[in-house]
Amino acid sequence: MRNAFSSALVAAAKSDPRILLLTGDHGYALFDEFRKACPDQYINAGIAEQNMVGVAAGLAKGGFRPFVYGLSAFVPIRVLEQIKLDVCYEQLPVVFIGDGAGVVYSSLGSSHQSTEDIAALRAIPNITILSPADHYEMTQCMKLALTSARPVYLRMGKADLQTVHKSLPDFQFGDLCNIKQGTNKMCLIATGSMVSTAITVSKEFEDVSVWSAPCIKPLNIDKVIDIARSHELIVTLEEHSIYGGLGSAIAEITSEHCPTRVHRIGIQDKFSKLCGSYQYLIEEHHLDFESVLNTVIALEIKHS
Amino acid sequence: MHLQIKAMQKFDPKKLRQTILKMAYAGSTVHIGCAFSIIEILAVLYRSHLNLVSNDPEDPLRDYLVLSKGHGVMAQYACMRELGWLTDDDIQTYFHDGTVLKGLSDAHVKGLEVSSGSLGHGLSVGVGLALAAKRKHTNQRCFAIVGDGEINEGAIWEALLFAAHFELSNLLVIVDENGYQAMGTTDEVMSLGNIADKFRAFGFETREVNGHDELELDRVIHDLMNLNSKAPRAIVAHTIKGKGISFMEDDNRWHYTRLTEDTYKSAIAELKSQEPLSIS
Repeated sequence: MRNAFSSALVAAAKSDPRILLLTGDHGYALFDEFRKACPDQYINAGIAEQNMVGVAAGLAKGGFRPFVYGLSAFVPIRVLEQIKLDVCYEQLPVVFIGDGAGVVYSSLGSSHQSTEDIAALRAIPNITILSPADHYEMTQCMKLALTSARPVYLRMGKADLQTVHKSLPDFQFGDLCNIKQGTNKMCLIATGSMVSTAITVSKEFEDVSVWSAPCIKPLNIDKVIDIARSHELIVTLEEHSIYGGLGSAIAEITSEHCPTRVHRIGIQDKFSKLCGSYQYLIEEHHLDFESVLNTVIALEIKHS
Repeated sequence: MHLQIKAMQKFDPKKLRQTILKMAYAGSTVHIGCAFSIIEILAVLYRSHLNLVSNDPEDPLRDYLVLSKGHGVMAQYACMRELGWLTDDDIQTYFHDGTVLKGLSDAHVKGLEVSSGSLGHGLSVGVGLALAAKRKHTNQRCFAIVGDGEINEGAIWEALLFAAHFELSNLLVIVDENGYQAMGTTDEVMSLGNIADKFRAFGFETREVNGHDELELDRVIHDLMNLNSKAPRAIVAHTIKGKGISFMEDDNRWHYTRLTEDTYKSAIAELKSQEPLSIS
């Protein structure tokens, strides 16, 4: 997925000198290719994220197309106000890349984990939130981001999980991608790293539909209503707080338009407690295959 | 001298202050002191230094005036009225429901480059505008006005580091050093020490001026912008909060106080009684 991101950005920057990459002194190996191919379009803004976002706004006002890269704990969280006021208020074409979203930087602790970035940005007008699950979705997300005239946040989470698509999905802003179509009255809607888990879990049940949500804002309301109408239970999965993320977005739409039971699987209202590997923390937050399976089994029994 | 009498009549500080009093009274608004301290700075910039191509606030090749201390926005409105960008109606209906002009700089208004007032934002955007101009080789310049209170914000110092590192010689940062911030003097709230020395330490070509002396401002801006140096430029302008009206000068209550009929009338009367422009 990181390669898909890097090659899409390098290819675009080579053909469009307006594309500039700004980083807050992060992305050590990720940008080797970019720096080699487009050294003049690479700006290391130093460990000073607030200024970096303001500068990106100024560059966008001056006709450039800045891509602002940071760990998602910092971009967007540390610079939320700059994103709101300097970029979103004016609808400037700035793309933010939040890397390591969720608990990817597991052993570094809470300063480097971000399970609140989607929630924080969802309430800011004019920004699109993308959350690709694999390299195919990343390629399509980059295609959409590169042609967007408005601010975009691209959430890059755990990047080395299994591929969830077999070919490039042709989704637009707001679309949900159907991964598996089934007749079970329960369905799974997941985003980012959790799509892979959703697919694996779905195999333990009969004929369960799975959707991936590569775009969390906007969300195609009609599509969500469609899904709600044909199911009695929607389970959402995300490596993000259960507050304000994909699950909340789905529940908001269904409760208003088509009341359907929605169960949100995500990070409960708590920080990671201990040091550990990615897998260790995923288990701590009950987002591993076994935990999710048990949750879904319990839901299904309770529901039927 | 650099300024001719005729030219100085445009953006006459007395007239600008009068416009601000009218606005503040019409809208029952605050921040009069914040606007009065930057009148001469804005007058000199608009009159003699900002290249406003075809008098079009959106011309892509214009020089940028970034009011990072958005609280002084009435001073900019007053200048925009001189340019014909705002009408007398805009002034008279200030702060009325459904009107466009707000109490802080807002980039949705043509002629205002940034949305500021949340402090420490505008300078970074100005740095980005200056960098964009450098990269496009357009000779555009960016004049950014920050308040002395505003430089409490850490983002200001991030922006200064960046501007010096990327050699933004087309950037002039003007610090409105009026010595006050919302809750007291800068010394009481957060000591700033010698601001000019700090800018020099950050790699800026820095001058100090009397921020109400138009001739000095004009000369120093001219000299700074024509220096053969890759460094960004800075001016620390020593100013008086509330400058121009005796009962407002150096009285920080005029950060928050609204005009009454009495104070409005006596302020206007005082302005009228002042000598016409004195030319040295």
